[in-house]
Amino acid sequence: MRALRRFLKRLATTVMRRQNEERLREEFEEHLALQTAENLRSGLSPAEARRQAVLKFGAVEAIREDYRDQRGLPFLETLIQDTRHALRRLRNSPAFTITTVLTLALGIGATTSIFTLVHAVILKSLAVANPGELYRLGKESRCCWWGGYSQENEFSLVSHDLYKHFRDNTKGFAELAAFAASWDLFGVRRSGSSEAAQGYPGEYVSGNYFTMFGINPYAGRVLAPSDDRPGAPPVAVMSYRLWQQRYGRDPSVIGSVFTLSDQPVTVVGITPPGFFGDTLRSNPPDFFLPIVAEGEEVSKPESAWLDLIGRIRPGAQPASLEAQMRVELKQWLRSHWGDMTANDRARFPQQTVFLTPGGAGITSMREEYEHWLQILMMVSGFVLLIVCANVANLMLVRGLERRRQTSLSMALGARASRLVRQALTESILLSLIGGAAGLGIAFAGTRLILHFAFPSVSGMADIPISASPSVPVLLFAFGISLVTGVAFGIAPAWMATRVDPIEALRGASRSTIRTGSLPRKTLVVLQAALSLVLLSAAGLLTAALHHLEHQDFGFDPDRRIVVNFDPRLAGYYGQKQLPPIYRRIHDTLTGIPGVSAVALSIYSPLSGNAWGAEVWADGHPHPGPNDDNFVFWDRVTAGYFDVIGNPILRGRGITEEDTSTSRHVAVINEAFAHKFFKNQNPIGKYFGRDEMGSRVYEIVGIAKDARHLTFQIDKPIGPFFFLPGEQHDFSPKDGAEVSPSSHFLRDIVILTKPGASLSFGQMQQAMASVDPNLPILSIHTLREQVAGQFTQQRLIARLTSLFGALALILASIGVYGVIAYNVGSRTSEIGVRMALGADRRDVFRLILRGALALISFGLLLGIPLALAAGRFLGSQLYGINQYDPMIIALAILVLASSALTAALIPAFRASSISPLQALRAD
Amino acid sequence: MKEKTDVRQGTLALMVLKTLDVLGPLHGYGIARRIEQISGDLLSVNQGTLYPVLLKLEQEGAIASEWGASENNRKARFYRLTRDGRKQLQAETRDWEQTAAIIGRFFAAKAEDLK
Repeated sequence: MRALRRFLKRLATTVMRRQNEERLREEFEEHLALQTAENLRSGLSPAEARRQAVLKFGAVEAIREDYRDQRGLPFLETLIQDTRHALRRLRNSPAFTITTVLTLALGIGATTSIFTLVHAVILKSLAVANPGELYRLGKESRCCWWGGYSQENEFSLVSHDLYKHFRDNTKGFAELAAFAASWDLFGVRRSGSSEAAQGYPGEYVSGNYFTMFGINPYAGRVLAPSDDRPGAPPVAVMSYRLWQQRYGRDPSVIGSVFTLSDQPVTVVGITPPGFFGDTLRSNPPDFFLPIVAEGEEVSKPESAWLDLIGRIRPGAQPASLEAQMRVELKQWLRSHWGDMTANDRARFPQQTVFLTPGGAGITSMREEYEHWLQILMMVSGFVLLIVCANVANLMLVRGLERRRQTSLSMALGARASRLVRQALTESILLSLIGGAAGLGIAFAGTRLILHFAFPSVSGMADIPISASPSVPVLLFAFGISLVTGVAFGIAPAWMATRVDPIEALRGASRSTIRTGSLPRKTLVVLQAALSLVLLSAAGLLTAALHHLEHQDFGFDPDRRIVVNFDPRLAGYYGQKQLPPIYRRIHDTLTGIPGVSAVALSIYSPLSGNAWGAEVWADGHPHPGPNDDNFVFWDRVTAGYFDVIGNPILRGRGITEEDTSTSRHVAVINEAFAHKFFKNQNPIGKYFGRDEMGSRVYEIVGIAKDARHLTFQIDKPIGPFFFLPGEQHDFSPKDGAEVSPSSHFLRDIVILTKPGASLSFGQMQQAMASVDPNLPILSIHTLREQVAGQFTQQRLIARLTSLFGALALILASIGVYGVIAYNVGSRTSEIGVRMALGADRRDVFRLILRGALALISFGLLLGIPLALAAGRFLGSQLYGINQYDPMIIALAILVLASSALTAALIPAFRASSISPLQALRAD
Repeated sequence: MKEKTDVRQGTLALMVLKTLDVLGPLHGYGIARRIEQISGDLLSVNQGTLYPVLLKLEQEGAIASEWGASENNRKARFYRLTRDGRKQLQAETRDWEQTAAIIGRFFAAKAEDLK
């Protein structure tokens, strides 16, 4: 208590320094006057009386010093003093200050902008109440639908039935909510308005979803459990974003009826602005609807499409909840024993669940980008290190130039620690200024990265990541500036005090010892090594990107346009309505001049979608629980293979003769033929979906392997089959249709005639003439769609190249600086050499040899580091050799040549020194 | 000339408090003189060293100070004991006496007492 009071007093007196100084002087004076008077009374002469008084008082300066130490906070005062001093010194050398601050701003800005992304994607919790109490089902994020009563490794997606079983039996949860693992696009139109329907994402959530998250409505109300019961009037909650951007915060939106994909739904409320749902994703949902509104999947106990997040009760143990849920899962599975397939039953013992912290929501994005972000964090960290080395080098030169001043201070009794502190204050001040400037660069950089990584789709919400710095980002920038300041400042500060006062005071730069040359060279070597790492990483990533983009896709991306739509958005359903609308679309679009052919599919190549099925090839035994018979497939209309430019190698493609009444056929790819029919001719053979039998589809053709899927892009193309758009499959067990929603064909592919140019407007017009209620969700060329798959890879490759170039420039400047300084300090030596008969070429060689040594050491250190970096990149290189000697050789060449170029300038300058002038110099 | 004992700062602070307790408000010179007189010139205090101690005590709130007029009508700073200071003095006096008593007993003890 007493110490605190004293601290506050001292803090106050620090501020009122002058006043106190005056008081002390007066008190001392008074004391001496009284003592002198007393001495006079005892008979001393006036002069002697005063002298004795002063003697008795003691050493005034020492006492004053002691008094000052007692009075204020000497630490704070020195800090202020040093800061003032540093500011003055920085002002005196503006060129140095600006260069340093800019260099630091680049390094700190780059690192901070990557950290902003790391924070948003990896570290941040959802914007909900007490995220620490949330737990979710599953260790990994799965998309989007899982069928049957067994799941690999863990049950992470659940059916509506299983959700209710968990919700009603697990008492440790205050609330357990469910929501669809993927969002759907809805064609949205306000009832009664004449506007065209527009596609917006919506998500099905359980009635207690908002209560569980602790989210209150911004306006109106949120969903309640009563909305999520069969027969409840259809309602939805709208996102604040859509309400604001599309409807201008119109209060009458709340309570009015909207048409969501042809279903009337009343909007009952608006979510608060910061809330983007349960998953960080590039287009967060604009509507939240109760699960019962989904209709189709709700009643199927084997159809797993829901994620679970729950808020546990205070004091409940997640571990015991997990154990309890494992028992509940087994109970539930046993109650469906009759519905389970033999394979499901065989996998029963392994079925289990995991409960993991759910404060960050469903972290699919984290899983997808974690490694990329690590790479970027690493790369920007390297840039920052190089920046530190560069600035440290500048500081060393500065320290050398100030050597005489430093030795004078030391000769006058300044403590070394104080001098180090002074120098450190200067460097930390510099890095803090650099950090502040870096925040601007970070903001711009983050916006740019977000723009390129997650291109915004017009009308849809952007990814909910803000580029403006949040408190953690600011703290990070401050921390990293501080660390940077110490990192580049500590060595030069220490070096500065390692001067021999006598040596420096003797004056003249006759000194033969090149002080501080070793640490400077070390720094340059380090820079060269780090630059090599970045350059070779950039080379590897660029090569990997090139490899990805220029592989044989098996289809032809040129002259193809993809129009994305959804027949459901205008209310087209079922066998009666769908084939006619597809035909009308086909005929109308084919009628546009310049269009050569048109075909539809569920998903076009590399569109990001995928449909999978377990197959049973005829003539093989029924696949067991451990057989790998899972393959991907697509449903396409007549002529599709020609339209996408995928050659048919044997047999035929899907044609007009494949109608709902003709025999059921399929086209397979080479990988399918190889996997299931080895050396036989597959044409005329049969296969089926596992649950339907083995003689369902007759194989009529083999297509060349083409890349349809966006994942496993570094692996050889896997087995794939194609079914005709008009043929429907029914289960032999209960007669229900198998995969009915595979008949909603979403991608129209248009092949244009060579040289024809087609405007998007023409296509929009044509689609509107088919049905004005049918919204076009997107139009782009197939080339763009292919390129769009490599957005992230391209971004990483470009960023790394950018950082690599930055590193190269900084390292070259570093080499230049060291060599130029050496030439400067060796001017007289060179003069002597030349006077003794060395010619210009010898001098040139002498200087260049020094530079070569530096660069060679840098390369020597850099090569193993570059190899290690290749290893770290590993899986992100998509099959490119991570130790590719060509790329590393190229990086070495680029680095060596630009560093040598940087060294040439001072070498030329040295060789043009006139011996006469050099010797006269001092 | 006999050796003069050096004074530890804490001890000096206690002396200051006791002086102000006994004599009431005093200026720095007065305090220095009293301490000198009472200790019978046994203590050598560089008089100036008193001032940092006064400052510390004032910052702790044990004493307070204000400007006043000295006996020869000059401006002087007068120090007085505060309530906190009085409490502190009592506490420290108790401590000091206890310590002194213990040390005294140790010195008085003979070899046979320790058996």
